[in-house]
Amino acid sequence: MCFKNLPVEFDERGQPFLRGGIPNPYEASAAPANVPLQLSSDQVEELLRRNGHIKSVDFDPVTRVAGALAFHAVADFKERRVLEARSVATLFRGYEVIMVGRDPRDAIFITSRACGVCGGVHSTCSALAIEMAIDCVPPPLGVLIRNLALALEFLYDHPLHLHLLAGPDYSAAIVEPTNPTLFARAKKTEARHAEVHGYATIAALMQDLNPLSGKLYVEALHMTRLAREAYVLICGKYPHPQTIVPGGMSSTVTPTVLQEMFIRLSQFFDYSKKISCIWDDITDFFYEADPKYKDVGRRRANMVDSGIFDHPDAYDATYKNADAWGNRRWATPGAIVDGELRTTDLHTINMGIEEFVEHSYYEEWTGSGQRQRFDADPTGKPLSPYHPWNKITKPRPQGQSWKEKYTWDTAPRWDRLSMEAGCYSRLWSTAVARKLPESPFIEATGHSLKVRVPKGALPEMELEWHVPKVWNAFERNRARAHCVAFTTMVAMNNWLAAMDRLKNGDTRTSTPFEIPRTGEQRGVGFWGAGRGYLTHHLVLDRGAVANYQILTPSTWNASPTDRWGQPGPYEEAVMNTPLLEETDDPKEFRGIDVLRAIRSFDPCMPCTTHIHSDAGTVTREVNTCACGLDD
Amino acid sequence: MRTLIGAIGYRNLRDHSAAFEVLERLSRDDLGTSVLLEDVSYNPIALVQWLDEQPADARFERIILVSGVQRPGRDPGAVTRYQWSRALPSDELIQQAITEAVTGIISLDNTIVIAGYFGALPPWVTIIEIEPAQHEFGSELSPPVERAVESVTFLIRDLALQRETIQ
Repeated sequence: MCFKNLPVEFDERGQPFLRGGIPNPYEASAAPANVPLQLSSDQVEELLRRNGHIKSVDFDPVTRVAGALAFHAVADFKERRVLEARSVATLFRGYEVIMVGRDPRDAIFITSRACGVCGGVHSTCSALAIEMAIDCVPPPLGVLIRNLALALEFLYDHPLHLHLLAGPDYSAAIVEPTNPTLFARAKKTEARHAEVHGYATIAALMQDLNPLSGKLYVEALHMTRLAREAYVLICGKYPHPQTIVPGGMSSTVTPTVLQEMFIRLSQFFDYSKKISCIWDDITDFFYEADPKYKDVGRRRANMVDSGIFDHPDAYDATYKNADAWGNRRWATPGAIVDGELRTTDLHTINMGIEEFVEHSYYEEWTGSGQRQRFDADPTGKPLSPYHPWNKITKPRPQGQSWKEKYTWDTAPRWDRLSMEAGCYSRLWSTAVARKLPESPFIEATGHSLKVRVPKGALPEMELEWHVPKVWNAFERNRARAHCVAFTTMVAMNNWLAAMDRLKNGDTRTSTPFEIPRTGEQRGVGFWGAGRGYLTHHLVLDRGAVANYQILTPSTWNASPTDRWGQPGPYEEAVMNTPLLEETDDPKEFRGIDVLRAIRSFDPCMPCTTHIHSDAGTVTREVNTCACGLDD
Repeated sequence: MRTLIGAIGYRNLRDHSAAFEVLERLSRDDLGTSVLLEDVSYNPIALVQWLDEQPADARFERIILVSGVQRPGRDPGAVTRYQWSRALPSDELIQQAITEAVTGIISLDNTIVIAGYFGALPPWVTIIEIEPAQHEFGSELSPPVERAVESVTFLIRDLALQRETIQ
């Protein structure tokens, strides 16, 4: 049974239906089975009052993340563990409010501003949602160029995270003062892949992970430039490209342009080998030094991904065929629960999504006579009143309370479970599902992904990412490093396909369209950011946006505790994290293990500030990156 | 002597976008071939890389940066002009500036810190800040900032043509 907590069952033909005989089927009061729960605020207060070794630890802001994130924890310094964890998104985004009443084409440009790193993915996700709503199918070359653009965005994002944001957590500058014993061991430990990355010892590698001065830090800045240059060649500009349209791309792409792009892309061949080996070596070193590191950032392997990289022969922009074209993507959609792939069907993934606001600065939108707008998706499959197509964004700022409301993030759930999003989610579902299009470079084995990376200065190599036995901070980073190779070679597949089309005279990159001025239409963009899952749910009414809902990776990952007491992914990961830092003095405590846990998700929070009047309307905007948050 | 006049900010953010209006007005003048007007809001890291790759015999010897910047204690439309002191904050703050830059934040302070840290700036850098009155989306400038734009345009023109020097 695909859903264990939603009131949805499947008939013998596999068609879902709402379980009968329940007056309010989605108003389940019992917590989902076998999920971790937060202690109540009263319990935590009591523990703090009775025990001197239990203390509050606040990280505000959490540095080296995109945007504004704070984190509250209560730690037991005697037992060296975390008792309570609360993830706090401190800024409001509000794109959903801004979009209502506008021409849907505006969404491409407005939602792009949601992020300074991955504005292009929001633009494309908007275009996908619009073209589904208006029945506009892009030509194959348009699909291929979109795929290339997406890959190039990730080749900016992954090195940036690994060596500018998370990487310093594993650098000599951090490890030596927080875990001197570990660093002493690193000096004596030979790196297994020295012939690939050039570092004889783990300590030498850690030195070059140092922020500002480390060679890997500086090199990452250079690699992000290459990715951006390649992107600009095919999409005109970045951030906030102007060439993404419903029905394809408005840019003109020639073999010369693609060749120039390839010159940049090919430099990721060797870089991807190096980066995979670096993070394999770091992970193995920490595990061998102390197996307790396997618990840093550990949580259930519950993940969701909507898949990316459409196959040009399969994608028809319809919701009806989303299962078919979704399963032919180069990264397979998936909902993974406790490490098991539950489904790759985009309809089922969509059906299972709900958003809750019990601990968020929003008002509940169901109840009080509010009519549920859609009780089913366009193919008749049941939808929850908490589904994004039914959601109404009602911001209500107020004082912070762990018992009540404490964050601007909502709590999205799939089958009522706290799921995380990341590039690793797509790696996992692609590896296990084995639905990958035929490729000379990538092979899904059912338990791993093999990526054959061509010769550069380094020889051709086959890199293999294995589905891990334990899911934690180290595995997130390792998987992200392997995603560089995966993404590079997906781009290579699409580059070859695009060149073939151009050689055969197929130069069309877009399909003309008109926005219907009558009736109601629905669309959803199923896409992905470098940080994972991304959807834009759109409702059009007489040519204008009636509802627009964005779910980003960090909406999932930074989500607060839900109505059942189930923590969000950051919270759960931190609650499982042992405090391995070598200090017994809470005053000296830097919280490096907690920070490693949080940063491994690649948090991307909003930098756009929308200040509200008492009436809850947007009255002031400041600016930019807001990849992180819903609403 | 090559001079770069760079505007920093976000567009369509009323007074916070004042620098682009200055640039637009300067573009109507003939400032000569040695003066380049450029919107340098495309990311401090990218700016560093762009400055670094200028040919050795054509590097900028003078940079004038203009931006709408909100600071405490200044009246709306106030113009503050100063020479970059070459002082840099702590490594931690530089790291934070880079984090913000690569994740999409555009700001005068970040630009100066990052370009300064990576050695991309010449010794002669003049910074001109305009204190915004309006903090919202839109294209119109407030009256005090409109007046400030006028005076800043004159000032930069004189600086570019070296009719005025920095004290």
